[in-house]
Amino acid sequence: MSAKKLFQKHNYLILIIPALLLYTVFIAYPFFSSLFLSFFKWPGIGPKIFVGLDNYKNVLTGYMSREFYRALGHNFYFFFLNWVLSVVPGMILAFSLAAGLRGSDFFKTLFFIPNTLSIIIVGFLWALLLNPQWGMINQILKSIGLDSIAKAWLGDTKLALPTIIVITGWRGMGFYVLTFLAAIVGIDRSMLEAGRIDGATESQMLFRLILPQMVPIITTITILKIIWSFNIFDIVYAMEGTQGGPAGSTDVLGTLFYRIAFGGLGSSQVGMGLGATVVTLIFFIVFPVSVLYIYIVEKRELKG
Amino acid sequence: MKKAMIVLLVLFITAGFIFAGGQKDQAQTTAADKPVTVTIWGWRTQDADVWKQTQEALQAKGDNIVIEYESFVPAEYDSKALLSLQGGTASDIFYTRRLPGARTQGLIDNGFLVPLDNEIDLNNIPETTLNSIRSGGKVWGVPFANQVVGIFYNKDIFAKYGFAEPETWAELITISKKLKADGITPFMIPGKAGWALAMQHAMVGVSTPGSDWIGKLAKGEAKFTDPEFVNVGRRLNDLKQYYQKDFIANSTDEMSAGFALEQAAMVFYGIWGGSNWKELNPDFNYGYFPVPVVNKGDKPSVYVYMDGSYGLNPISANKEAALKVLEFTASPAFGTIFSNVTGEMTAVTGADLPKDKPVLQECYATANSIAAENMYWVGSVFQNGTPTVYSILREKMQSMYLGDITPEELAKDVQDGLATWYKPLQ
Repeated sequence: MSAKKLFQKHNYLILIIPALLLYTVFIAYPFFSSLFLSFFKWPGIGPKIFVGLDNYKNVLTGYMSREFYRALGHNFYFFFLNWVLSVVPGMILAFSLAAGLRGSDFFKTLFFIPNTLSIIIVGFLWALLLNPQWGMINQILKSIGLDSIAKAWLGDTKLALPTIIVITGWRGMGFYVLTFLAAIVGIDRSMLEAGRIDGATESQMLFRLILPQMVPIITTITILKIIWSFNIFDIVYAMEGTQGGPAGSTDVLGTLFYRIAFGGLGSSQVGMGLGATVVTLIFFIVFPVSVLYIYIVEKRELKG
Repeated sequence: MKKAMIVLLVLFITAGFIFAGGQKDQAQTTAADKPVTVTIWGWRTQDADVWKQTQEALQAKGDNIVIEYESFVPAEYDSKALLSLQGGTASDIFYTRRLPGARTQGLIDNGFLVPLDNEIDLNNIPETTLNSIRSGGKVWGVPFANQVVGIFYNKDIFAKYGFAEPETWAELITISKKLKADGITPFMIPGKAGWALAMQHAMVGVSTPGSDWIGKLAKGEAKFTDPEFVNVGRRLNDLKQYYQKDFIANSTDEMSAGFALEQAAMVFYGIWGGSNWKELNPDFNYGYFPVPVVNKGDKPSVYVYMDGSYGLNPISANKEAALKVLEFTASPAFGTIFSNVTGEMTAVTGADLPKDKPVLQECYATANSIAAENMYWVGSVFQNGTPTVYSILREKMQSMYLGDITPEELAKDVQDGLATWYKPLQ
């Protein structure tokens, strides 16, 4: 093979270099350096002291374990509740829009508006709305005589995390509605018509014909939600700060990592190594799910 | 061959983008007749005017120095400074946190700070203040402010009811009771800000059981589970009936708004809150008193701490000019500028504090007369390991206020947490 032919055969390599370079600098390098760092004790400056698996021991069974498992539990809780609060209403709204009600275009836009706001702004606005003394939500509740449910939404250990999840669901709703709507529109019409001709009832139509065809999109959304739920940080940070208060009831792995790695106001302790350990553990939770996602999507594409 | 050429070309172009950022810095070191620019980094936005006026004062003295001050978000500042110092791109002068603390100690141990003892005159700064930035017998920065914490109150409300500043805890309760009975919220508490609750505990603790008892704690002659410490939690837990409803959901911003807009009579906070309150309500008339003691006749002490200092970058290209700036920051003239601009307490003695800020003058006097020697919060020995007293208190105080744990359990959590690493407590 001449040099020219060889070049022609492999010239695509040149095209991937820019992307590969960016990927290496911004993804691969930080990942491997934090993996490396997780075996060291390092306050962010000076020599890194090798401690072997000590950081992992501290996080998984040592003095950090209580906070770690609590945060991990909150991430799981976040995923489950967020799933229910996004998929169920998302699908109901999508069906309503698909039924061709009047003004459905308007509602499509309306549902999507919160999605265009930055999550930090959403968190800030809702924190104002939910202020227990002069926030609008409690003012409305009180004005219609519902004083008993005008709570300190963000100051109650049982309510704070569900409240944040509901707001996250509210913000993301438009995305789910549009995604489900696209799936509904894509359903094979002839199959539905055949169902009708064969005398299927409405519920049979829904559970036997429509929902089965929605399974792929629900799978995709579920997997994406797992990944997102374990990377959650911004909304908790915006509404409850890095401490994940009150009393740690909204603390998630993201905020835990932030506190450990960068310390906080008045804190004299910073532990980059320990922080890197938490991040690495998050990675090992999310990575298999991501692989599964890619596998499923690839399989689907091959089938299609 | 062609392939190799193209690969090289791509590499050069990419490298060009990556290293383009380095060009600017070189261009700045220019001819000597121009003014010398001293760059300063800090975490305080409120200091911009301090540096502007400092520059004017220096230029008036004939020092041809231009100061470029840049402030960063407090939570991000330390990482930013650390990375830049290690990369050799940090400012000439940069703000550092107090000692003892892993951050500043790390800078010292790794040669990122210059000892200033033999470089500038530090005689106008009290020894106790310098101790907060002293390590290995050397001073590593010029302290800029002391902070005082305590109870701030609405003077108009107190005057309306004829209340005097309470001297005992019982008097404080009496005042709170009367206010509450009359429909006025006695205290505005930022329960969402765990750090402010930790600080509240600490400032109550320095009055009773007091600085001496805390000194015993540090030596291991007392324990956090002793009644002295448990009682601090108990008193605060009993006080919560006088806080605004649902206080645990309020942030410090909401507290400031509530206090400055006269929705509540008192707050547990720091002197730094004042400028914000005045901004929210220019007519706001507030005063200060140390947290009252339990037994009449006991002397209260107050929590005073050095806020931070100005450090010198060892690889500063303008070291001579930077030292001139630092020399000035250790003088009463700078203290006057600092306090007038920020409304905070300068760390320099002999400064003229602004006449229109009586609370500041009062706090300055208090800090210089009844500052606690020992404490458990920032700047204390209980901050030198993990978990810190601060990290335990900020969460457990919320738990206690929410009724999830008792003051006894709070004390036990502090004791157990610190005993994992603090030898005298074991």
